[in-house]
Amino acid sequence: MIYSWKKIVRYGLPLLTLCILIELFAGQILQSGQNTLLKIPIYLISIPVINGVGGNIGSILGARLASGLHVGYINLDIKDKKMHENLITSLLMGIITYTVLAILIYYIASFSRITMGISLIEFVFVLLAVGALLICVVSVVSIFTAFLSFKKGMDPDDFIAPVVTTIGDTMGIIFLFLIIGVA
Amino acid sequence: MFAKELLKQSLPLLILCGLGGLVAGSTLGVMTDLLVDIPGLIVIIPAIIAMRGNISTTLGSRLGSAYHLGVINAENIWNEELKQNVIGSLVLSFLVSITIGILAYVTTIIFFDISPNPVKLIIIVLIAGVVSGAILTMLTIVIIFAVFKRGYDPDNITGPALATFGDIITMLSIFGSAIIVEVIL
Repeated sequence: MIYSWKKIVRYGLPLLTLCILIELFAGQILQSGQNTLLKIPIYLISIPVINGVGGNIGSILGARLASGLHVGYINLDIKDKKMHENLITSLLMGIITYTVLAILIYYIASFSRITMGISLIEFVFVLLAVGALLICVVSVVSIFTAFLSFKKGMDPDDFIAPVVTTIGDTMGIIFLFLIIGVA
Repeated sequence: MFAKELLKQSLPLLILCGLGGLVAGSTLGVMTDLLVDIPGLIVIIPAIIAMRGNISTTLGSRLGSAYHLGVINAENIWNEELKQNVIGSLVLSFLVSITIGILAYVTTIIFFDISPNPVKLIIIVLIAGVVSGAILTMLTIVIIFAVFKRGYDPDNITGPALATFGDIITMLSIFGSAIIVEVIL
């Protein structure tokens, strides 16, 4: 038997506690920006989308790296070719996904008569800018987490998703407020 | 060519998941009155969603590796290895929910000049965390089973699928428990 619930809890709890501490910080940023979000609700609605896609792409990359490391077709090397192919595919998927979703969000929001105050081009630009920044961050974080945990003899599967989504959520919210501020 | 395979298996799902995120976002959009009425509520939302996503995606990710290692497969899915994974996830959900409630209360007092009702916050998090945890653990097993049957690589699919269903189910759980707590207390 390779899994035990006590081990899962013991390994999971410290990291999860750290993660929710960081997420609560993200929550406090939301609290302080609450008025902006209530004024332009299309951004409030976009937050789960931005963070969700960023976290997903980072997690897919991480899960693939973890399996690759477990099975042995990916080596612990920053120059590993398989890892590079995975990285480039992640970036490509991110750009496509954010563009498609930005357009969908905009039209669904205008259908449900949500107050906008911005044009489609502007909104797509904001989401793509936030998305591109976010994917760069989650990809790098994902690779480092996978390699580092594997190198230390721990199961990367226990670490990648929590680390990637936590940093992704916080950075997603920070990037969004940043780009809204600039745009 | 795995890039093509990855795009084919993951991209439609990623977009579908983004739409799921949109449903979660719209729920958040509907909750604006509650957000104003319950100080501290917006603070706990990223934490609960993250806890939920983390616990269920690590579960999915571990089961993915278990599949690659040959420990579980479509014919032999409900075995002791899986049970240990499920129990671990549920225990984590309970413990972390309580922690979120307490920490949200403390940090809100520190950062802002408002003091939320600690009992309210903790109860909202606990109900939302445990209810969404139970639903999502069951859903994880169903998804893993469906993915095995189709012969897809679970790594490309369970993460995004769980994160998305997780977001929707968690947002609805938060919405529901916030309403219940607001009415009762």
